[in-house]
Amino acid sequence: MMASSTQSRSRIRPWVIVILSCILFLIVLSQMPSVISLSQVGKKMGVFATVFLGIFIEAVPFLLLGTISSGFVEAFLNQSQITRVIPRKAVGGALTGSMMGLAFPVCECGVVPLTRRLFSKGLTVSAGIAFLLAAPVINPIVIFSTAAAFGWGWMLVGRVGLTLVMAVVIGIIFSVVKSPSAILLSPKWVYKDPLENPMTPPAVPRKSFMEKFHQMAVIAGDEFFEMGRFLVLGAAIAAGMQTLIPQRVMLQLGHGPITSVLVMLALAVILSICSTVDAFVVLGFVGTFSPGAILAFLIFGPMVDIKTTIMYFSVFKKRTVLYLILLPLLMSLLAGLAINAFALGGI
Amino acid sequence: MTLRLYRLFQGLVLLFLGIFLLVKIVSGKLIWYINQRFVPLTVLAVIALAVIGVTLLDEIRRTAGNQGPHLEGQDHPQDEEEARDGHEHAPSRWRLVLILIPLAIGILVPAQPLTADAMNSKGVNASAPALASGSSVVKFDQAADERNILDWLRLFGSKDDPGTYLGQDANVIGFVYHDPRLKDGQFLVSRFALVCCAADAFAVGMVVEWPQSAALPNDQWVKVKGPVEAINLEDQKLPLIQAKLVEPVKIPDQPYLFP
Repeated sequence: MMASSTQSRSRIRPWVIVILSCILFLIVLSQMPSVISLSQVGKKMGVFATVFLGIFIEAVPFLLLGTISSGFVEAFLNQSQITRVIPRKAVGGALTGSMMGLAFPVCECGVVPLTRRLFSKGLTVSAGIAFLLAAPVINPIVIFSTAAAFGWGWMLVGRVGLTLVMAVVIGIIFSVVKSPSAILLSPKWVYKDPLENPMTPPAVPRKSFMEKFHQMAVIAGDEFFEMGRFLVLGAAIAAGMQTLIPQRVMLQLGHGPITSVLVMLALAVILSICSTVDAFVVLGFVGTFSPGAILAFLIFGPMVDIKTTIMYFSVFKKRTVLYLILLPLLMSLLAGLAINAFALGGI
Repeated sequence: MTLRLYRLFQGLVLLFLGIFLLVKIVSGKLIWYINQRFVPLTVLAVIALAVIGVTLLDEIRRTAGNQGPHLEGQDHPQDEEEARDGHEHAPSRWRLVLILIPLAIGILVPAQPLTADAMNSKGVNASAPALASGSSVVKFDQAADERNILDWLRLFGSKDDPGTYLGQDANVIGFVYHDPRLKDGQFLVSRFALVCCAADAFAVGMVVEWPQSAALPNDQWVKVKGPVEAINLEDQKLPLIQAKLVEPVKIPDQPYLFP
């Protein structure tokens, strides 16, 4: 495989290239603003760039948290530790899966690579799907940020409770699928049954901490690239829609108990904001939108938005993604309408 | 593309991304994109990017004994899967190009905070009713000339007796926006407020009564002083400043307000 070029390259000391490139990059970065002015690229482009980079920069730490968690699971946990803890039965698996976010505080960007990794470690379909949908809400960071925004009241209870119910129900629905290989794009990501090599773990020499750390970092890097490009794509679409469709148009669309829920569901998808902060964002809509619409935003946004949808497509088969979008959509819609009917006294 | 070359590319891109974020942090421009409360997270991300980037570059040395992508992984059996993984995708140009987009946009499009141009897509939330009802506490005891635009709107959104703050002198900074709903001789002194990042930014503003307002271009940053009144604009109760002074100022270090 291009052995000659590989060998000639190995003579060059990589670190010299690295340091020189970094210096060159710094120079380009600092000189560029004086070369290009905003009037040349257009003002709309300026707005797009700021919104796009805003979403991207805000999401990078959370995506890294997810891919590092994934690397941690691969390097430091072994399969028997996971398969022993998670029940194989659908209901138990879905319940456990929906609560696993308390141990892995990832948002919706980080949960996709982590779920895929956990499938390769033997997680069942029900538990994995429940984890995928619930973890962006059922984790300490998001619970605290929601409480900070709305107080320890019914909005927090509604968000956590409804997310749990939806994730568990959808997890159980997915239990008709017996093996993760049926929903995942690549069979490589599926755990090999332990019965094939019973009892003893494969003869792996025990690794030192540094080696495990190294492995964790390599996986985190690889998955950052893999998932990062979908984050880029999603952020670009979200920023593009925001630049082109005035938010005013969305907000004027509906204040009624039904249309407001629909508008907030659409907004949850378009805004594509991280679940760790969406509670603060939606606070700005509390006065103008019905309580059911606010809650629908808070439960649907973490499960489905533009960037997660694109990430789903990179991991799951098309039909699976369709279910992963439609089921939460229908259930959030029903929940939002039911709450409005209850809170506002009939539709 | 061989695995080693791919590792070089990955390592460099991660380091570049780290440098890019670091430059934004050091230059103070990071808060043009995200709420200041997330800046510490970005600092952590820079550290993580540096560690992961150097580790990936170190992979080049560690795999030097092996032939390209065919790692048999004697010492790291798990690496085998990663190596295959990396190799399978490595020829796909899309993966390489997409991750470069943020860097390319960051370099090619001059950095700027959101301005009046964004108003068309964002709209002005002059009433900001929710800001008064949320967790944010309305600071009634705040001195009038210390209030920013958001503080004033919160006061107006609260159900408190307006008599306590009407007539007080405002002293606010914002950019000029000529809202089409306003009459001649009026403009909106505005700021963007953002909770998370530029994606959720919303504009807030106070109406300013100023005879020479037509001479002020959109996006000009101004300091406005004068007593505050209440007016109704399209059924919204809004604060209006009877300006005694409108003077151009430089764009503040922190162009957004963080509720």
